[in-house]
Amino acid sequence: MAGEDKEMNSSDMAEKVCVGQQMPAGKMQSIQLSAWFGAKQALTDISLTIRASSVTAIIGPSGCGKSTFIRCLNRMHELVPGAKMSGQVLLDGKNIYANEVDPVLIRRKVGMVFQKPNPFPTMSIYDNVAAGLRLTGMKKGKSLDEVVKHSLEQATLWDEVKDDLKKSGASISGGQQQRLCIARAIALEPEVILMDEPCSALDPIATAKIEELIVSLKRNYTVVIVTHNMQQAARVSDFTAFLYLGQLIEYGETKNVFENPKRELTEKYLTGKFG
Amino acid sequence: MSRLLDKGLEQLTTILLKMGDMAEKTIRIAIMGFMNGTDVGDETRELSETLLAMTVSVEDKAFELMIKYQPVASDLRIINSYMKIAYDFERYGRYALDITLTQRRFAASQKCVYSRDLLEKMAEKVVLMVHTSVDALKSNDGEMAKSLANIENEVDAIYSEYLDKLSKAPSGTKCLISTTLVVRYLERIADHATYVGESIYYIATGQKILLR
Repeated sequence: MAGEDKEMNSSDMAEKVCVGQQMPAGKMQSIQLSAWFGAKQALTDISLTIRASSVTAIIGPSGCGKSTFIRCLNRMHELVPGAKMSGQVLLDGKNIYANEVDPVLIRRKVGMVFQKPNPFPTMSIYDNVAAGLRLTGMKKGKSLDEVVKHSLEQATLWDEVKDDLKKSGASISGGQQQRLCIARAIALEPEVILMDEPCSALDPIATAKIEELIVSLKRNYTVVIVTHNMQQAARVSDFTAFLYLGQLIEYGETKNVFENPKRELTEKYLTGKFG
Repeated sequence: MSRLLDKGLEQLTTILLKMGDMAEKTIRIAIMGFMNGTDVGDETRELSETLLAMTVSVEDKAFELMIKYQPVASDLRIINSYMKIAYDFERYGRYALDITLTQRRFAASQKCVYSRDLLEKMAEKVVLMVHTSVDALKSNDGEMAKSLANIENEVDAIYSEYLDKLSKAPSGTKCLISTTLVVRYLERIADHATYVGESIYYIATGQKILLR
């Protein structure tokens, strides 16, 4: 294992793989997923099952491949020049990297919310939510209004903006903007929502609202969240995967990972004993 | 590089290890006093009350560490276990005090031991268990901790043997003994109810009081 810490031996590895494989079949699955930026390998043989209607947190130090991993889950990684991947990613058992699969369709089914709220600044709140749907050909009308309302409700933003739908998406607070971005993702009726550090630019109150939202979203969606905030991972997720140097070190139920991690590396990371 | 949390854990460990040594000492004093017919009530009371105060210190420190650092993994397990161990050490002290109070009430300044051989054997095992539990904590030795189960089986066997012996006593004495044991258990339940009360008061008001 390139770049592995010295404390892991082959039996550790065997158990590590087993930890990943013990999870029952889920909504998404990565199988021996590796990824590169040019010659630099960012992920190595990640095999991980993401359970439906649950929140899975991806944790690990900066540069460990967390964001790269979730970008592979909706084929955004390949948009980076020089980026490539190997292995498989299954959505409901079907390989999203198969030749016949349209990556645009995958990105609709597997939506993404980014670190920094990024509403379209020249568009109104309404148009921000409707933008993706318009691209798919849906015209302004009752059904579009309903989808916008439903999406804002799902993102717990409706009550706060229902009288200001024509205001600019950039005029609301950072926390509201992030929920607007979540509403925008929801409008496309995804099955999985990927969130890349969705609260890192927000204050504690806005963060708490997003966290409540994440937990409520799992009723209808499968959520994968990348976070540097371990307490946040512990609060919102059902399952936690720990990545280090592009490798999956440990994956399991969040309570178990945070209370009694199986890998020494996980223990060291969680308790801040790295380095 | 040491973490901010490490200093707090060190402080917690220091208090707990002091408690362990003190609790063991309290039990030894109480048993010796009972065996020799010496009234050591005042000494054990002082030690027992100090142990109680130290338990509160452990709880306070543990709370502070949880609030400040939101510990997880082994840090969380340590803090959680330390709170439980502190309570157990406090109980060592309290039972030691109970032994001296029983002696004071029934047989002050007298050697009043029924079936001394069994009691000596049991006391020896219990002191060994207390010592082992403190040693296991000091050395963080899981195997040593597990060895407590074997000694506890031996203590249970002696207790059972003692009760069998008592059951052969005349009818009136038997009733007295069984009622005494039941009364003792009821009193312990009442004690624990006050502990529950203390906890509930703390939840409701944020104030720590002693109802015991």
